Amino acid sequence: MTEEQIKLAIENPKMSARDVKVFYGEKQAIKGVSIDVGMDHVTAFIGPSGCGKSTFLRTLNRMNDTVASARVEGEITLDGENIYAPSMDVVQLRARVGMVFQKPNPFPKSIYENIAYGPRIHGLAAGKADMDVIVEKSLRRAGLWDEVKDRLHDSGTALSGGQQQRLCIGRAIAVEPEVILMDEPCSALDPIATAKIEELIHELRGRYAIVIVTHNMQQAARVSQRTAFFHLGDLVEYGVTSDIFTNPRQERTKDYITGRYG
Amino acid sequence: MTAVRNPTDWKSEAMRKRIAGRYAAERRFKFAGLFAVVLSASFLAFLLVTMMGNGLRGFTRTEIALKVDFPASPLLLDPKAITDEALANANLPMVTGTVAKTVLGEKADDLLSPTAWISIRDAIKADPMILSRTATISVPASTGLDLAAKSKGSPEMEAEVARLKQQGILSTGFNMGFLTASDGTDPTQVGIWGAFKGSLLTMLVTLILSFPVGVATALYLEEYAAKNWWTDIIEVSINNLAAVPSIIFGLLGLSIFLNLAHLPRSAALVGGMTLALMTMPVIVIAGRNAIKSVPPSIRDAALGIGASPVQVVFQHVLPLALPGILTGTIIGMARALGETAPLLMIGMRAFIATPPGGITDPATVLPVQIFLWSDEVSKGFVEKTSAAIIVLLAFLLAMNGLAIYLRNKFETRW
Ligand SMILES: Nc1ncnc2c1ncn2[C@@H]1O[C@H](COP(=O)(O)OP(=O)(O)O)[C@@H](O)[C@H]1O
Ligand SMILES: [Mg+2]
Repeated sequence: MTEEQIKLAIENPKMSARDVKVFYGEKQAIKGVSIDVGMDHVTAFIGPSGCGKSTFLRTLNRMNDTVASARVEGEITLDGENIYAPSMDVVQLRARVGMVFQKPNPFPKSIYENIAYGPRIHGLAAGKADMDVIVEKSLRRAGLWDEVKDRLHDSGTALSGGQQQRLCIGRAIAVEPEVILMDEPCSALDPIATAKIEELIHELRGRYAIVIVTHNMQQAARVSQRTAFFHLGDLVEYGVTSDIFTNPRQERTKDYITGRYG
Repeated sequence: MTAVRNPTDWKSEAMRKRIAGRYAAERRFKFAGLFAVVLSASFLAFLLVTMMGNGLRGFTRTEIALKVDFPASPLLLDPKAITDEALANANLPMVTGTVAKTVLGEKADDLLSPTAWISIRDAIKADPMILSRTATISVPASTGLDLAAKSKGSPEMEAEVARLKQQGILSTGFNMGFLTASDGTDPTQVGIWGAFKGSLLTMLVTLILSFPVGVATALYLEEYAAKNWWTDIIEVSINNLAAVPSIIFGLLGLSIFLNLAHLPRSAALVGGMTLALMTMPVIVIAGRNAIKSVPPSIRDAALGIGASPVQVVFQHVLPLALPGILTGTIIGMARALGETAPLLMIGMRAFIATPPGGITDPATVLPVQIFLWSDEVSKGFVEKTSAAIIVLLAFLLAMNGLAIYLRNKFETRW
């Protein structure tokens, strides 16, 4: 992939990766990926299973630090600041770069507590009233307020799968992140819940830089403006979503999009 | 090319036989299971019935309402100057014997407990004015009479029981003394309180030492320790420690706590420390399993919004693992509560007639007390042993009940 292509995608990157390599022990999972992620777009990562989408996504908020065998090389910056620099505080980084996981994973606490937990540990609320405001705002943004406003103290795990996933999005939003990473957020959900999440992603666009991993190409086409195609640890092609889907430059991208493998 | 196969005949003789065989196997399995359940239930029932049969009698004692004519007795005491010293010098055991002979006849010594004079002393202490009149005081009967009154004594004692009953001065009632007194030489006078308190103090020491250390070890091994051969060795050692026979821990306690550190012998402190050595590995193993079973997705969730590793552990992992940790702890504690061998090694088998005031006082514990009483020749100790077993079982049941309560209280509903 050319330098020109990376730049083409984004003028003013929120996050950029340069020649990122990830190893699990001896095994290399990411083989030198460079990419810019912008504030104004939803960026989709697509590619066959096992190609390294999740691995790369998790380098962006250093969740790979929790995997003992994982090792990251290269440079990743957030607003021009290297997130792997010793001066970078991982805890703060993860508040700034939030994450939504494949399987909804609300805490086994009340809906209110699920949202309030992040702001509380980061000291974002000045008091109970302030916290109430944050909780309401976050739930509204996550499109969940009307459904749960009467049962804020019920357990978050009692919600339906789709509601749980929106609760998790609300939980990430509550700490005012700049970037939200979503790793196949709809793969455990039914079509109606999926549609709601996609709608939500539309609404959140522009306020946060959003990166979404998906194995569902229609979903990538529906929600994203930029698409990156990964294959066997390589970033094969990156560009405007409509271009990728209608006019892929690489043979491998074309094969994948036309369903020849995957 | 394709081999011709007949269509399966689902109604054939072979099929019918196979079906019948399957049903028979299921019936056999069900029967075997039922048999096992009935067998273990009947063992339990047998245990309970024999314990209760013997033990409940241990909670009662026979008393004789002794009519004491104080003015006529050889007792020389001034009602206005009743002090402990005066009472001690009054030779009450002898006086009691003399009085009893006049009231109950020549065989009085065999009828009254050797500790009967204590009841008289207490009565005088409570109201010195009875010294100027005739008073009726309930005194404990001898072991022989006690057993006969509860209907399994010797023929002479059975006759005495009939005689005293006719006089209406014999009664069998709940023996409060069994719950408030400590070990003694005569079965009519012994109680369980000293051993119970000893057990309580020992368990307290065990809990205070083994719980924090066990949980911290489990947390460290699961959450922080790198997975290398060093932690593998620690893991294997801990697992082996949990399987070490308890008497070995007693020897360890003896050589380290007593011989090396010179801590007080027979004390709840040393007993608790020894049992803590034994309980800790159980807590570590249960704790690690409980921590392991906390779903990784919860850790991810917390880390993903910027919780620090310590916050993840203390605000998410530990609360979710707590029910499992508590269950393991109580199982370990219940095992420690029933331990005898290691405590014998550190000298908790001594005869101790006063309840321990603190963890450094000489003490005994329930299982050791049971062991000591079961070794006594006097017949009266048989039912006391059973009664002590009932107290121990009640203690264990209470602990298990607490475990269930705590587990339900902290259980997270998903
Ligand atoms: N924790 C891990 N340890 C070792 N190998 C891993 C680990 N996680 C992922 N991998 C490997 O890295 C490669 C990329 O995995 P992943 O990023 O999960 O792919 P994707 O999300 O695109 O399906 C796969 O071959 C996978 O087996
Ligand atoms: Mg993945």
